[in-house]
Amino acid sequence: MPTATSKPIYRHRWWTPAVSLFLGALMLAAFWIGDSITEGLVSFGIMAALAAFLLFGRSETVHGLSGPGRDERWAKIDIHATALTGMVLITVIIGAFLVEVAQGEDGQPWSQLGAVGGIAYIIAVAVLRARS
Amino acid sequence: MQNDVRELRTARGLSQQELGEAMDVSRQTINSIEKERYTPSLPLAIALARYFDRTVEEVFHANGNQ
Repeated sequence: MPTATSKPIYRHRWWTPAVSLFLGALMLAAFWIGDSITEGLVSFGIMAALAAFLLFGRSETVHGLSGPGRDERWAKIDIHATALTGMVLITVIIGAFLVEVAQGEDGQPWSQLGAVGGIAYIIAVAVLRARS
Repeated sequence: MQNDVRELRTARGLSQQELGEAMDVSRQTINSIEKERYTPSLPLAIALARYFDRTVEEVFHANGNQ
């Protein structure tokens, strides 16, 4: 119920900024292992800037992205935005696959990405249907 | 969905922020409900109605916009 006092961890203001910093650290480590420390530092800097923006931003959009504003209305917005993002991605993947094939290529890795997306969608639909 | 949340809130002298904190939602969500841009979930609708000592049907009017 809305009157609950304890907030889930993803609604704390530091949650998404911390995730951003963690991803930045992973990128830094990956570039470091790949002997590209400069690119790693740039990537970490970008993710750190994003974390700071999410931590200190004042708009509702920033609060929703960073955690504290994630109430039920935001959850609905998040679902719609995620669905729209998925539609954009799958459209790009299909388009890129068709262009690759038309140019005489084998369509990789676009066909693999499309397959992953399609299978993930079917599994998600099946699991969510069973749980609803 | 048409509702009387704004009238009930102002009658109690509450700000949108205060009502949002009582319902554990953002001020913007209360504003969206009052402007009928967002239809709250059933738990939130019940919580709002109970908060104002009304029934859900007295606060929300399903034969309105939707």
